[in-house]
Amino acid sequence: MSSARVDVESRSWSERFAGAGGSTAYKSKLPEMIKCPSCARPQQPRLICDSCGSPLPVPSDLDCFSALGFPRKLSIDTGALERAYHELGRKIHPDRFASGTSTVRALSLSGTALLTRSYRTLRDPISRGLYWLELNGEKLAENNKGVPPELAETVFEVQEQLSDLRDASGDAVAELRSEIEHRREDAAATLEDLNAQLARNFSRWDASPNREDVGAKHTLVTELKAILSKIAYLRTLLRDIDRGLETLRAA
Amino acid sequence: MAEFSGKIYGIDLGTTNSLIATMDGDHAGVLADPKTGASILPSVVAIAPDGEVHVGQDAIAVEPRLALKDDGQIHATGFAGGDLGVVVRSVKRYMGLGGNEIAPEDQARYTFVDLTGPVARFQVGQRAYTPSQISAEILRALKHRAEAALPGAKVERVVITVPAYFNDGQRQATKDAGRLAGLEVVRLVNEPTAASLAYGLEKLAEGRVAVYDFGGGTFDISILNVKGGVFEVLATNGDTHLGGDDIDAAIVNWLLADLPESIRNERHIWNSARRLAEDAKKKLSASDQTELILEVPPDLSICEKLTRAHLEEFAKPFIDRTLERCRLALQDAKLEPSHIDAVVLVGGSTRMPMVRREVQKMFGREPLCSLDPDEVVALGAAVQAGVLMGTRNDMLLLDVVPLSLGIETVGGVMERIIHRNTTIPTSVTENFTTAVDNQTHVDVHVLQGEREMAKDCRSLAQFKLGPMQPQPAGYPKIGVTFLIDANGILNVTARDERTGREHSVDVKPSYGLSDDEIEKMLEEAIDLGEQDLEERLLIVARTDAQQILAALRKQLADFGRLVGGDERMAIEELAGRLEEAEKGTDREQIAKLTEDLNTATTPFAERIMDAAIKQALEKKSVEELS
Repeated sequence: MSSARVDVESRSWSERFAGAGGSTAYKSKLPEMIKCPSCARPQQPRLICDSCGSPLPVPSDLDCFSALGFPRKLSIDTGALERAYHELGRKIHPDRFASGTSTVRALSLSGTALLTRSYRTLRDPISRGLYWLELNGEKLAENNKGVPPELAETVFEVQEQLSDLRDASGDAVAELRSEIEHRREDAAATLEDLNAQLARNFSRWDASPNREDVGAKHTLVTELKAILSKIAYLRTLLRDIDRGLETLRAA
Repeated sequence: MAEFSGKIYGIDLGTTNSLIATMDGDHAGVLADPKTGASILPSVVAIAPDGEVHVGQDAIAVEPRLALKDDGQIHATGFAGGDLGVVVRSVKRYMGLGGNEIAPEDQARYTFVDLTGPVARFQVGQRAYTPSQISAEILRALKHRAEAALPGAKVERVVITVPAYFNDGQRQATKDAGRLAGLEVVRLVNEPTAASLAYGLEKLAEGRVAVYDFGGGTFDISILNVKGGVFEVLATNGDTHLGGDDIDAAIVNWLLADLPESIRNERHIWNSARRLAEDAKKKLSASDQTELILEVPPDLSICEKLTRAHLEEFAKPFIDRTLERCRLALQDAKLEPSHIDAVVLVGGSTRMPMVRREVQKMFGREPLCSLDPDEVVALGAAVQAGVLMGTRNDMLLLDVVPLSLGIETVGGVMERIIHRNTTIPTSVTENFTTAVDNQTHVDVHVLQGEREMAKDCRSLAQFKLGPMQPQPAGYPKIGVTFLIDANGILNVTARDERTGREHSVDVKPSYGLSDDEIEKMLEEAIDLGEQDLEERLLIVARTDAQQILAALRKQLADFGRLVGGDERMAIEELAGRLEEAEKGTDREQIAKLTEDLNTATTPFAERIMDAAIKQALEKKSVEELS
């Protein structure tokens, strides 16, 4: 009997969700209702009871967006995200339940850990993109073991220059350094461009009217993977350049 | 343990000084001793040969030193250590250390027992005291002070501050100290974070704050972002063995340089020189030159001039180390010094003009030091107590874990699972499986530190997952959740991902006291019947013997069919001898026979395990059929 009611209510949840998000419901199994252990009120999965303010048991499949009360959209106003994190943090943090029962304290602890992890995941566009792939059953590493071809040449040349720099002496040092510094500027500009591409990819996901369209989804996934993979390589490259130049300065 | 309700007090359990503070309405205030008016309690504990304890000034009065007596002569006086009682200073330096982590210069200063054990113990006569037990005495003294200052008040729940860079073991040892003092430690708060609370920085609309906390024994740097009452630590760094004590020791080594090492390390002389050095250092914050005079009987007199410039030479290497830590913290926070909007100075060592100068140079702005650097941490602890009592709902403190946490993987490599400067509470779930067919246990070794190899990191704990049913390699899937709570302390839980069953995890900490040991110490403290060391060890040996004998009797009754005639005779013969020995007092004999019996019964125990697994499998297949 109770399961029937749960079904009806959770369907209305997904409808409301779709309305708020402006796109059709994401294909995932309907969330089950949970019951607040403190006041027994049944409700949608969330971190804090909307009736008594106690921490709720976290369903293992609660996603990062829901944890922060955000619609499942990739374009995120990070200022609003931080405000939501702080507001929820104030309510659920173990500091609020120092005199609570051990159950309530344990729930507040696991809820805060999940909230923080969700915030960290969504705050950074790269980790947000990677998480999005995961939600779509995709993984970056699987098809992207090699260096992206467009970057291969740059990556290898810079690695060579850095290695030369380690062995160089005299005038060659200054020359190599200036070359590497130029490379760094180029790489930083490319990274900026990629970040803009990532933001555009995010908008297309959010605007995509029907995520059931397998072909359209495949295109978006492929593009997202390519951008993220290039960003990952560029970040490593920039880190290596900075380390190389840092060592030079220290020496 | 009993949990209390009611008011929460804030305690700064410092290396050199300790304080207790409370909220009075909206205002945090330090509670002074009503008799002396002193708000600072020196963190010095004296334990007399008969077990009597003195804390603070009373302990300093019996510290071994050279003193002018009524006869007009200089004499060695005080508790000289070992059988003559002990006076422990800076006990915080030893919190959470294993016996093997005690530095040689500390071994010259105190007598330790158990230098190979998981926890360092100070020897006093026939007894041994852990750093947590000694810290508990300081906490008790603070509790009594607060209860005397506030007639009718009961101090039962506290917030205790710890250096931000304290590792898991040091935090656990601090919590243990609270428990041993009969207090509920509601929260451990990092000292620099507490200081930022005391400064009322929540009034800042938004800003980045660097808290430079240079105390007697520890150094911390924390970089915070403060926004609308939310204190978010971005990065923290430090050194839990770097403080004013080190500068004092450098002065002592210079002052006593001409004496042979054996005399230099003589406790009366070293302590007297240390006091002179500390006084000189303090004086040189206001004046440019001072004199150190040390009379050593019978006829040695040391007299040296010390200028501020010379002191700064001694201090420079230590201050440089603090600045390097600041750079690392800024790097982790991805900030430049110019991004910092306010710098806060905490800790007695920041009274040195050189420290202020260098910090100002580093951050390019004048540091805040309007609050007494000795009191600011205790005041902040009281503010956090207010937050925990629900009177400061506007504030939220988000701290970080100072050191990365990881597990040992193939080839002795440390695999990081929680990175340093991750906001706490935080949790990560890792899946574990087996490497060979029919493996029934998986060993997990948890580490803390930043080095690549497990052997270079600090061992936190070890535990075994299982027993699992024999299955092909790689089939079992056990999810282990590593949760770091708001105190920065690790909790481990495990779940069989295939059955959804919770696994119990018996985590054996690599250092520190086990829960049982703490319970035992509490019981001992309650009946005040402190046994001597030998007696304690005998009891431990007897308990071990009784446990193995009881287990053996049960196994022989239940699984007697699994043991052969000859084997059974050999086991019973050993068991008989152990039963006999256990009634006597020869501890070593008891321990040896226990070990022998353990070895002799291992094959038997393995057969019992196999049988149990087979039985479980049969039961399972029956269930699957039905």
